Amino acid sequence: MSEIELRNVTKRFGGTTAVSNASFTIDDGEFFILVGPSGCGKSTLLNMIVGLEEVSEGEIRVDGRRVNDLDPKDRNMAMVFQSYAIYPHMSVRENIAFPLKLAKLSREEVDRRVGKAAEILELEEYLDRKPRALSGGQRQRVAMGRAIVREPKAFLLDEPLSNLDAKLRVQMRTEIARLQNRLGTTTIYVTHDQTEAMTLGDRIAVLRKGEVLQIGTPRELYEQPHNLFVAGFIGSPAMNFVPARWSGGQLELPFGALEMPTDSANAVQAMEHPLIAGFRPEHLQAIDAQAHTGLHLEARAEVVEWLGADLFVYFDIKLEGFETLTLPEDLEIQTGHASRHTLVARLGPGPAVKEGDTLRLGLEPRDVQVFDAGTGNKITLSTGDE
Amino acid sequence: MTGRPGNGTMERLFWGVGSALVVIYALIPVAWIVSLSLKRSGDLGDNRFFPQNVTLEHYQVVFSDPQFSAALWNSVGIAGISTLAAVLAGMFAAYAIVRLEFSGRRLILAAALCVAMFPPVSIVGPLFDMWRILGLYDTWAGLILPYMTFTLPLAVWTLSAFFRDIPWDLDKAARVDGATPFKAFVYVIAPLAAPGVFTAAILVFIFTWNDFLFAISLTSTNNARTVPAAIAFFTGGSRFEQPTSSIAAASVVVTVPIIIVVLIFQRRIVAGLTSGAVKG
Ligand SMILES: Nc1ncnc2c1ncn2[C@@H]1O[C@H](COP(=O)(O)OP(=O)(O)O)[C@@H](O)[C@H]1O
Ligand SMILES: [Mg+2]
Repeated sequence: MSEIELRNVTKRFGGTTAVSNASFTIDDGEFFILVGPSGCGKSTLLNMIVGLEEVSEGEIRVDGRRVNDLDPKDRNMAMVFQSYAIYPHMSVRENIAFPLKLAKLSREEVDRRVGKAAEILELEEYLDRKPRALSGGQRQRVAMGRAIVREPKAFLLDEPLSNLDAKLRVQMRTEIARLQNRLGTTTIYVTHDQTEAMTLGDRIAVLRKGEVLQIGTPRELYEQPHNLFVAGFIGSPAMNFVPARWSGGQLELPFGALEMPTDSANAVQAMEHPLIAGFRPEHLQAIDAQAHTGLHLEARAEVVEWLGADLFVYFDIKLEGFETLTLPEDLEIQTGHASRHTLVARLGPGPAVKEGDTLRLGLEPRDVQVFDAGTGNKITLSTGDE
Repeated sequence: MTGRPGNGTMERLFWGVGSALVVIYALIPVAWIVSLSLKRSGDLGDNRFFPQNVTLEHYQVVFSDPQFSAALWNSVGIAGISTLAAVLAGMFAAYAIVRLEFSGRRLILAAALCVAMFPPVSIVGPLFDMWRILGLYDTWAGLILPYMTFTLPLAVWTLSAFFRDIPWDLDKAARVDGATPFKAFVYVIAPLAAPGVFTAAILVFIFTWNDFLFAISLTSTNNARTVPAAIAFFTGGSRFEQPTSSIAAASVVVTVPIIIVVLIFQRRIVAGLTSGAVKG
């Protein structure tokens, strides 16, 4: 168990910068997530921490000690690979015992620890099998077993669940969370799946193109994203974005204007730029026309998804007088095209809604976040905002 | 591993008969040579497939001929060293081609293919002249060098095909598990690369063991003459006999080592050893 600290860590491959200037500290015993779209440098960052890639610039410290030049074998960290990387010519038992054998532990100690790991992971029946006689989920467990027998300083997992089918993935997800709780070992978990990130992590670092955009608890990232990318990446379905502009002390959206209280001159100045307004699907609520103070809009349900506890309603709005919105491509958010712009509302399961129905939806000013369309940075409207 | 398609009786019959035909077709000449080697000299022209009277006299003649035992020793030495050298060099080349990023990787493979397709007969003449000047004529090195040239492409191609299939994440996993680069190689990579290495070794060995062209052109005495060349100089038990039976006996003797080598290694060549390393 240990604390891992990164100081201005940069990694370059020839001309490309895979990780730029990453600085953060992972606390002892923390479950820390690195999340971001594919190719953003998550694996590279993990490989630098474990010692498989050299650090181009900056420092990595484990418990205060600089480890930049330490060989991976001397870092005592355990890693689970996306491909599992279990040794095909060894039995499950030999696979799990391999790190212990290299550490020259006594036979009894090896047997004891392998037995215990197999028990935790329910692999006892399979100890004498070869990996090729195992299912995907079992192989995944063997990889986990090889990591936990060592009682390492940290677990590093690189997209460990992405090769499993959806159901197994959810099951292993809870299992990994339980295991980490029980062992209390510092864990760094890489994923491109924001659901995994949100459900597993104590804290999450969102990466994009080699840069750490924001670090925070799942709740912080969800409620107070620092920029457009984090806002759009975290949450499913993604946050709704619409083009917006500041005019006469009001925030004008394609479907109406909102009174936004701002008490800072900075904010007002920043609002002169082209803007993007964002709000979460659950912040669009069905309302009675009279009782509502905020903005309301008429929506004709195009697609209705009923999931038991949730009801998602997709509808189109017109962008009259506004530029079409261009969101970062790596967010992979589809907002329709040309004049059609699709939004989604997350309604309670209460009233039945059919496709083609017209709904009245309300939006409160406090639920709207404003981003600079050029830089993607969030504009803080008032000092009491956060 | 893919099994035989289907399991109907007709289908099995088809495959069974097919395999039998292929095996018979391939083995008849071999059986014929064995038969010839066991016939008495007088029975050679009896037009029978099976010898009427079995005799081992030709084997005795072959082994009592000092020329043959010298040739056998030369063959073992030259083929062994060439194989070792070609496979070792081929391993380094294939590893570099598969694992390292450098420009011209494809060029190397293509060039190797060109060398392999180059007709050996066109360089025998110049080699003969060069070797005489350089003092390599009729020496082991004089044969080992061209053998390496012509077998290296084979080794590089075979090995790089095998190396490409090794899940190299395993190397990283072993390093993280606490292995030095050397231990990672010994415990993890070598066992997985072994089938490829044995395959390459067998192919190279067979090529050098059976070569006649270089052996006959670049040697003149027992110093370096290998078995295929030596057989051509066979005179038989007495000067009044055709050496047919002795040649047949000698051929059988030189085939045995190849069969032994293949039998030893065939278990190792079983592919699919790496299946199950990654998700699969
Ligand atoms: N060995 C390498 N050589 C050159 N470029 C690399 C290498 N490894 C990764 N990269 C590049 O670095 C970037 C980050 O890669 P990676 O860390 O694997 O992303 P992720 O794991 O987030 O999908 C990518 O643009 C990738 O092309
Ligand atoms: Mg990756």
